[in-house]
Amino acid sequence: MIKIHEKLIEKVLLLSASVSASLTILILGFMIVLGLPLLTGGLFFDLLTQPWSPRQELYGIYPMVMGTLAIAFLGVLFACPLSLGCASLISVLGPRPVSLFLKRIVQFMTGVPTVIYGFVGVFLLVPFIRELFQAGSGMCVLSASLMLAVLVSPTMILFFSDSFNQVPASYLNAVDALGGSRVQKLLYIVLPCAWRGILTGLVLGTGRALGDTLIALMIAGNAVQAPGSVLDSARTLTSHIALVIAADYESLEFKSIFACGIVLYMFTTLAVIGIRAFNPSDRKTTL
Amino acid sequence: MKAKTLLVSVFLVGWSLVFGSNANATALEAFKGEKGTVKIAGGTAHIPVVKEAAKRIMTYNPAIQISIAGGGSGVGIKQVGEGLIDIGNSGRKPTDEEIKRYNLHMFKWAIDGVGIVVNPKNPVTSLSKEQTRNVFAGKINNWKQLGGTDKPITVYTRDEASGTRAVFWKKALAKGDITPRANFVVSNGAMKSAIAQDPYGIGYVSVGHIDDTVSAVTFCGVAPTLDNVKKGKYTIARGLYSNTKGKPGGLAEKMIGYLLSSEGQEIVSEKGFVPVK
Amino acid sequence: MNRFFEKFLLGCAWASALLLVTTIFCIVGYLIIKGAETLNLKLIFGNTDPVDALLLKRQVFDGLFPAIVGTLLLVLLSVVWAIPVGIASGIYLAEYAGKKINRALNLLLDILAGIPSIVVGLFGFSVALVLHKHFSEDIYPCLLISSLALALLVLPYIVRTTQVSLENLSSETRLTALALGATKLQNIFYVLIPKSLSGIASGVILAIGRCAEDTAVIMLTGVVATAGVPHSVFANYEALPFYIYYISAQYADRQELLTGYGAAIILLTLCVILFFSAFVIKKQLAYYSLYRT
Repeated sequence: MIKIHEKLIEKVLLLSASVSASLTILILGFMIVLGLPLLTGGLFFDLLTQPWSPRQELYGIYPMVMGTLAIAFLGVLFACPLSLGCASLISVLGPRPVSLFLKRIVQFMTGVPTVIYGFVGVFLLVPFIRELFQAGSGMCVLSASLMLAVLVSPTMILFFSDSFNQVPASYLNAVDALGGSRVQKLLYIVLPCAWRGILTGLVLGTGRALGDTLIALMIAGNAVQAPGSVLDSARTLTSHIALVIAADYESLEFKSIFACGIVLYMFTTLAVIGIRAFNPSDRKTTL
Repeated sequence: MKAKTLLVSVFLVGWSLVFGSNANATALEAFKGEKGTVKIAGGTAHIPVVKEAAKRIMTYNPAIQISIAGGGSGVGIKQVGEGLIDIGNSGRKPTDEEIKRYNLHMFKWAIDGVGIVVNPKNPVTSLSKEQTRNVFAGKINNWKQLGGTDKPITVYTRDEASGTRAVFWKKALAKGDITPRANFVVSNGAMKSAIAQDPYGIGYVSVGHIDDTVSAVTFCGVAPTLDNVKKGKYTIARGLYSNTKGKPGGLAEKMIGYLLSSEGQEIVSEKGFVPVK
Repeated sequence: MNRFFEKFLLGCAWASALLLVTTIFCIVGYLIIKGAETLNLKLIFGNTDPVDALLLKRQVFDGLFPAIVGTLLLVLLSVVWAIPVGIASGIYLAEYAGKKINRALNLLLDILAGIPSIVVGLFGFSVALVLHKHFSEDIYPCLLISSLALALLVLPYIVRTTQVSLENLSSETRLTALALGATKLQNIFYVLIPKSLSGIASGVILAIGRCAEDTAVIMLTGVVATAGVPHSVFANYEALPFYIYYISAQYADRQELLTGYGAAIILLTLCVILFFSAFVIKKQLAYYSLYRT
């Protein structure tokens, strides 16, 4: 009697787990099916390389792919040294009170909603950039990537900091015993040991940056052209989806956002597989 | 009783704009004892008027829920056609194809214009047709070419679903190109905020939305004021329509009736548009 | 030469910390300075009497009340969907799954965790569309669809924290009850879950925080700018993060912009409190379950 009861519960639990996992596949399936007209006949590669001009029946998402890559990579470029510096201070270099204070601030930052960053960006950062560079409207790749760097830094900092803390204590003690300074400890022991963690953190940060919608939507200007300079207005795949969702959903225009969705899905999958390649046994990574 | 007769005549006339003006001042009474929801979406130019009307109706009768979304004229037409909403607003007349496909009934309750706007700090106050076409196409890209300061021009435009954009493109740009470097904004309100904040920007917005945070540009010698739109002197004009799928029924019908009543038309002129009656 | 380089690095680390702290202080300070003046009951209830508004007798038009209620309802519904499925999946993955299934399911859940929120929103919108066309004319993007999509978004958080908390229990804890003759199920429900409650609870609170702040998903699945307090789960609704986004893009006058700042402060406070409680609960529950007999 108990055995049947147990088996039943086990099956129910299995069901929930399968439902959770299969939803992932379902999402991909929906996008492929709904975007079908654009995907058949090798049209997909055309899509990735053409510009966006509905009047001329061109539904290419190339400008948006470029926009996403530009903003995300620039954002991570700004965030990387910032995060490494802060993480080093928290885990290795800083005196105890400073380290604790900084850690609390960073933990606080992870709780700040994205829309708040976007909101402040529109009213504080955009006019600043506009006046500083005296060109364009201030709504550009540069503003968006600066704000994005602020957004992804806390996650990256906490992650780097965790990796730094996992360096075996014996190594750290050895450095102290030899009379090394904290910076030397960081430079010659901690960083080399934690390189996997750093790489993983970078990939995580990039994944987060690639998938962010609001900051690009509110700050980057949303022009449909591949950005030529950091002061150009640009549109990302994510904000393209948000903007075009309002269009006629039987039109090819609308179907192009499923292509965007598929591209984003592929970026995510690549990131996840990349992380697993660096950390075969570690499953503690959270996005 | 009178309200009901009024609404029946609205159906018969279909999408013409004038009908008998024996609407009574207490058009709100039509909503007495009603309950339910009305979903409205579409043109963003309509929002101030519809929002005020909804507020009065919901204050009069709290059992009614009216939800208002934006999205642009294209969205309004499409969603009402697919039955996702009750009333779809559009700032352009639906095309014949759309009318046929969705069996749309159109009701025009205001006349509006689309005006070119720049930041109040901008000395440029007048543009010719040729200049407008070139600015928006990106061929003229510095304010000094128009007699202003030596700064690059930032063009702001709306998305493809926008009725405001469609009207502007057809009538002001004569179907010319809009530069791909233009910044996109999602509604009339957003266009206004963007221009108000950017000293070197130029864009186009519903005349009813123009206030002292932006400066209107004279087009071909005619200023985009309410007066000029009314008199027909300002050529970039369009009607504000509310569309329903098939004949509107129940609350949707009453809502449209309210907009067309004298009280509704009062709201229309209060918010800066030209009433149709 | 080397020394100089090391000093330089130290300086860089301090500089980056300073930069980060200054940035966040600027951001939060800017919000507070600009928005503090609007923080009063009028911000939330507009011109309506607060008691009437709370009892839903009268609608609130110029206040944040509908948005706040919308956000709360949304969070509540999403969590109702996500918790059972999430905890059950976590238990399965930690306790029952074999190696291969574990790897496969974990991979899929990691991908789900990484999917951008707008894609999840797109999925929700497509599902609503398909259902609308093929099943019932009454289904369209609404509170229900939004909450289901949000549940999907936060599911990986709950599954992951449940799984990790269960796996981190020491083997003594796991084996004791079994050694005394309990069945696997009894072990799970009477011993393992109570012991990992702190981890699970903090995961749930993180999920709640994520639901409260998300904008991309709700933008595509049913939130609108003006809807009042929703009367049913099939209605449109308002939400705080969307209100902030909307105001930043299109504010009609200075007064509206100020309400945007007020809303931002409220949302920020809400999310920070949730986040803070996640940490506190985790510590408290851990203490409680460790030290009580």
